[in-house]
Amino acid sequence: MSKKLTNLEEDLKKNQIEIMLYPSKCDGCESEGFAACVKACESHMAQKYGSKYAGARINIKKKENKFFPLICHNCDEAPCADACMPGARYKDLESGWTVTNYKKCVGCWMCVMSCPFGAIERIGKGHFASKCDGCSDEDTPKCVEACKKGALKRIGIKNYSYERRLSVAKKIYGPYIKSISK
Amino acid sequence: MKYVIIGNSYAGLSCADAIRRFDKSGEVVIISDENYRAYARPLISYYLEGKTTDETIWYKEDDYYEKNNFDLMLGKKVVSVDTNAKRVVLEDGAAVNYDKLFVGPGGTPFIPPTEGFNPDSPMMGTFTRFDDAKKMEKAAKMSKRKEAIVVGGGLIGLKASEGLRALGLHTTIVELLPRVLGLALDEVSGNITSKKLNENGIDTATGETVVKINLDESGNPVSVLLKSGKELPADIVVVGVGVRPNVGFLEGSGVKIDRGIIVDKTMMTSVKDVYAGGDATVIYDVINKRPNIIAIVPLACEEGRVAGTNMAGVYREYPGGMGLNSVEIYGLPIVTIGLTNPSNETQNVYVFQDDKIYRKLVYDGEVLVGAILLGDISGSGILSAIIRQGLKCLKYKDEFLNGNIYSFVIDNEFEIYNINEGYAIRGDFEDLPEFSRTNWR
Repeated sequence: MSKKLTNLEEDLKKNQIEIMLYPSKCDGCESEGFAACVKACESHMAQKYGSKYAGARINIKKKENKFFPLICHNCDEAPCADACMPGARYKDLESGWTVTNYKKCVGCWMCVMSCPFGAIERIGKGHFASKCDGCSDEDTPKCVEACKKGALKRIGIKNYSYERRLSVAKKIYGPYIKSISK
Repeated sequence: MKYVIIGNSYAGLSCADAIRRFDKSGEVVIISDENYRAYARPLISYYLEGKTTDETIWYKEDDYYEKNNFDLMLGKKVVSVDTNAKRVVLEDGAAVNYDKLFVGPGGTPFIPPTEGFNPDSPMMGTFTRFDDAKKMEKAAKMSKRKEAIVVGGGLIGLKASEGLRALGLHTTIVELLPRVLGLALDEVSGNITSKKLNENGIDTATGETVVKINLDESGNPVSVLLKSGKELPADIVVVGVGVRPNVGFLEGSGVKIDRGIIVDKTMMTSVKDVYAGGDATVIYDVINKRPNIIAIVPLACEEGRVAGTNMAGVYREYPGGMGLNSVEIYGLPIVTIGLTNPSNETQNVYVFQDDKIYRKLVYDGEVLVGAILLGDISGSGILSAIIRQGLKCLKYKDEFLNGNIYSFVIDNEFEIYNINEGYAIRGDFEDLPEFSRTNWR
């Protein structure tokens, strides 16, 4: 773990907090029988949007012994917002997140077809496409709160910058390359 | 700087948003020949079904135009553009001057020459505008025998028939091609779709055309005569064959038109300071590798954004797009991406089919160039991204066919998806303080 470069509380006030994804640390919570982040997201969404629009916005996909949390990457100029015919999905300028007005969503699946990360899915059998809203009204996103494995973390912007440079340097220069799959 | 935008729909508004992002004070005028603020045009069939209502069909929030300081001119038809004097002439004779002009006129419905077609009749019409949907809603109420004919089995025709069916009419689709959605689907998926339609009370007459519409004395339809000699009863006739670029008003302006409006990489037309985008524009088709008109919502937004960015003085290029579409027919989701019917021998087709799901992949050598997904569409966005980028992924074909599309993201997180250890998802980079030596501790 890197040293603390910034005060998390202070960064939070300035909206300078990131969700960080460390795919290699995810083990799908196999020993518990359910993925903690998925469960936390599901119950929070049910509480926030009502049972009609419930359903987890994060998904753990497995391949052989490798796990990967599929989550919205909050693209700028998001393909899902471009593709949205009813205008249900839009960029919320205050939080910086692409969010959904589920009242407008009709289930045309244009966004499912457009999301390059496969992070948008149908909610149950209804005609709504779920999309992560980044829990932008919460201090900590619920999936991050629930993750005990360190695959999802929240971190201040300077720490992010530091870790990023560390990992990029390691990737190019250090004995780190083995994790790149072929 | 005064920006004028012709067209108040996806391309036009995306352009206006892009202008406003870079130019907070410039005057932006949006001209539309309709009397509504922007609405979700492809959703007019959902309006007939009651899935969207008068409250939810609007594309943007209520205060969108005021908040962004856009001048909206509704119900004004543009008749010509004088590119020398930099002026747009309206139908009522008024003129609007511009410094930079964006043209996003979209398409007008194409009506094949048919004997007896009378667009003034309240029981006959096309199906591309909000007014058309309202007209059909009234027509359905007036219809006595509850019989409707929809000419055209493409997306417009299919959606129109679904809407009419929801209003309680027995509907028949008359399509020239041997299957519905003939350009996007293949034989197997076309048949599955037809079956789904038939189960829900929509008949399909494929390989047929309407040669004559028989009218009563007041000019309303009574029956239609098909090419095969069959006569079908009809209270309502909807023509949804397709649209043609609505470029008539650009005649004499000097803007180069070849089927659609020709643009360069910055979305500028052959005339300086006139930009274009949307369904009337010819763009580069990355799949077929030639200029093409691709009339879909996502590309209209992209084109509008690139044009708007350039209009506001920030250079940006548009790399081109590809055709893709998604539709749900009575609970059957259908996604078609890129090239779905192979056009030459170097292309191979791989198919998976069981009783609920159909998947088809078209490979050109090692490169995936097209796909059809029926029934199960989860992860289809990953395929879109792969096809648009032209990635080599022949070794994944079995996994894709089995619906395990996500494995591509897991394997390629580092290279293609650029997801490193410690990938940041949340955070607004625009608001970051500038990093410099002085504020770096």
